[in-house]
Amino acid sequence: MKLIVSSKDCRIFDHSPAPVEQILAEQGINPLEVIVSRNGRLIPEDTIVGADDEIRITRIAHGG
Amino acid sequence: MPLCSLCTEPATVFQRHSGRHLCGTHFTAEVEQRVAGTIKNRNLIAAGDRVAVALSGGKDSTALLLILSRLLPCWQDVRLIAITIDEGIAGYREETVHSAEQLTRRLGIEHHCISFSEMFGDSLDTFLKGREQQACSICGILRKKGLVSGAHRIGATKLATGHNLDDEAQSVLMNVFRGDLSRLIRNSGVDSSGKFVPRIKPLSLVSEKEIAQYLILNEAWTELPECPYTRYAMRREVRSLLSGFEYRHPGTMLRLIESRQKIEGACKGSVISEPLQSCRGCGDPSSGEFCQVCLLRRSLGK
Repeated sequence: MKLIVSSKDCRIFDHSPAPVEQILAEQGINPLEVIVSRNGRLIPEDTIVGADDEIRITRIAHGG
Repeated sequence: MPLCSLCTEPATVFQRHSGRHLCGTHFTAEVEQRVAGTIKNRNLIAAGDRVAVALSGGKDSTALLLILSRLLPCWQDVRLIAITIDEGIAGYREETVHSAEQLTRRLGIEHHCISFSEMFGDSLDTFLKGREQQACSICGILRKKGLVSGAHRIGATKLATGHNLDDEAQSVLMNVFRGDLSRLIRNSGVDSSGKFVPRIKPLSLVSEKEIAQYLILNEAWTELPECPYTRYAMRREVRSLLSGFEYRHPGTMLRLIESRQKIEGACKGSVISEPLQSCRGCGDPSSGEFCQVCLLRRSLGK
């Protein structure tokens, strides 16, 4: 599984299929503070993702 | 892949507060309906209003202007005018001002840009040299002055800001931590003196994450930098604390806001504010002899 946190932080690891939310929490990322996409599409945090998935997260910049 | 609770399309968003999965179309509609509901239930916008929209170019104010422009047909003779305050924060504000200009051009909305240099003689970066710890306080006072002046200049009857659910909940917690009861219950939308343009917060029931999702799904998302002064702010710590709580205990932010409303109701008449007078420096309404802006300008030597 590939988790792209930023242009400088790309994490590759093995993981059995699990909800994205669980994977984020294990990686120390609060799901409420990021947007999650797979193949360029937004996905809900309870989507089950697997070993072949590439997940991109976008941190929400604060300030309006 | 979860499907939308309202149709058969793939879901893009899971709403924790409603327990529903929504596709882009239904999520967009739900957010817009929620904002419309906030406006209607709190009588935020009336027929004939000239609404000045504080548009920084960041995600919240972008979503605010986009949503209000879509809801415009709901109101009679309401006009939207965008005001951008350029504090002159190097490496940050230029991009967001550009984003604001692009948006107003795209939506065909009148846009006014007011700079700190023009209003106060210098940029925020210059004012903050050696005072970085006070960044948000100083910026907030001067930016508010800019918005109020701009709103008066264009004859606005309401001033709309993009404060979201997270912002409002954070403010409640910060005021509790500071022990500032009068600020906790102060409602800037209600002014019996008639001297201030009422401020309205139509996005106050929409979370920061939902705002980002809304913009992405409506092709209005731009990755912009964060204000470089954020790291000095107490709000940063409160944000982190609250975000963790909200994740582990969904609904925390909404309950904080509801608590404030209850405290406001219980304190009605008990917390007495100083009557407004005219500032001896600039003539603007002030709770003291000099307004916050004039006091600040004196301390900055401006």
